[in-house]
Amino acid sequence: MGLGGVATIKPRARLASRRRQIIAFAILAAALMVLVFRGLGNATLYFKTADEAVAQRAKLGSQRFRIEGTVQPGVRQVGQDVDFVIANNGVEVNVIHKSGPPQLFKSGIPVVLQGHFEPDGHFASELIMVKHTEDYVAKHPERVTTVPAPATGP
Amino acid sequence: MTRTERSPAKTGTGNRTTRLLGAGALVASAGVLYFGLVTTPADEVQGDLVRLIYIHPAVSTMAFVAFGVTALASLLYLYPRTRSWRWDRLAGASGEVGVVFCALSLATGSIWGRPAWGVWWTWDARLTLTALLCALFVGYLALRRTGGGAESRAIRSAVAGVLFAVVVPIDHFATEWWRTLHQGDTLATLHPKIHGSQLWTMLLSFIAFGLIYAWLMFHRTRLEQLESRLENEGLAYALAARRAEGAPSEPESGPETAPVSGPEAAAVSGSASGESTEAAASAGLQS
Repeated sequence: MGLGGVATIKPRARLASRRRQIIAFAILAAALMVLVFRGLGNATLYFKTADEAVAQRAKLGSQRFRIEGTVQPGVRQVGQDVDFVIANNGVEVNVIHKSGPPQLFKSGIPVVLQGHFEPDGHFASELIMVKHTEDYVAKHPERVTTVPAPATGP
Repeated sequence: MTRTERSPAKTGTGNRTTRLLGAGALVASAGVLYFGLVTTPADEVQGDLVRLIYIHPAVSTMAFVAFGVTALASLLYLYPRTRSWRWDRLAGASGEVGVVFCALSLATGSIWGRPAWGVWWTWDARLTLTALLCALFVGYLALRRTGGGAESRAIRSAVAGVLFAVVVPIDHFATEWWRTLHQGDTLATLHPKIHGSQLWTMLLSFIAFGLIYAWLMFHRTRLEQLESRLENEGLAYALAARRAEGAPSEPESGPETAPVSGPEAAAVSGSASGESTEAAASAGLQS
């Protein structure tokens, strides 16, 4: 509106209080940033690698966490149940997942799983997330893609 | 409107530069569409889902650039020697365009994430920080609309703009500093592992979205300029109308009673004059 943005001349006292408000606002925002950064610091461990998880198994107990590893060849799927092994740094973890794998799930790719260790040592997965790398390889047109592709990588 | 006819460059937001930028953006976008959807190959792992890299990285980068520009312009506004309304307007425009790009980044990433990762969303560092960034700059835009004096509002917004943009570099390095589900930067190294035509199409997408950002910025900054002009001149219109109302003996007011010459000012009366100037200005914008 026409008259809305007209600035009025303020007395000096109001300007000073405005400055205090700005400083207070800046401190508040800075504190928020610190909180966010520290909060992130605690949550930085988005996943544990398979070898780390195995090393900490006693401490982890039946606690829920995320685990990362590369899917090894020999994925067995019966209906919605998937039975496979993930590995990281030569340490393997047996995984049982009961609610169907995602579209791009196959052996040879890194995955992040959400779930917990069972007393017998296998990992009960509730959620499979396929972790993609930043590398892209053109698909060969003559190569036939089957669902359980035996791509173990070089 | 006669004013529009006299000086279209002053009331419209387009000119030769914006038309050139717009045409360039259209051509580059058409190129990205053609190369991205037709000529570039599918990926060994992702299949056709890989074609997201011709939109999402460029859109996200433009959001970062936009918030960076907001921070820089805010600093220039806050520094007494360079204080000018121009920087305040630039910061505001870039913040707004940045929010659009940031929201697009979240949306395109999420749509890709469902088939590629298996989830729409996950709370890893990159995704969480991007959502935070988007929310902070929506807050920044709200802060720009708060009341009080024009100058204190500008200072308040500038301080917020600088502080909020601190999240940008943290978000950028999130995939390096922390473990994330999100992949790292493909183009961070000199020898990225990416197929040649995929790489060039990706670079073309950066040019396309860069041009779109620049085009939007020119229009948005001009619009801010027109808005502030409307605020200032709206008062003059109102005063002229009041004078015309108070002096019925002079039906056709001369230039000395109407400081801003305009046929609308004398024609309307009283409080309705503010609306009429707005209508005049918006009619000019549409041209």
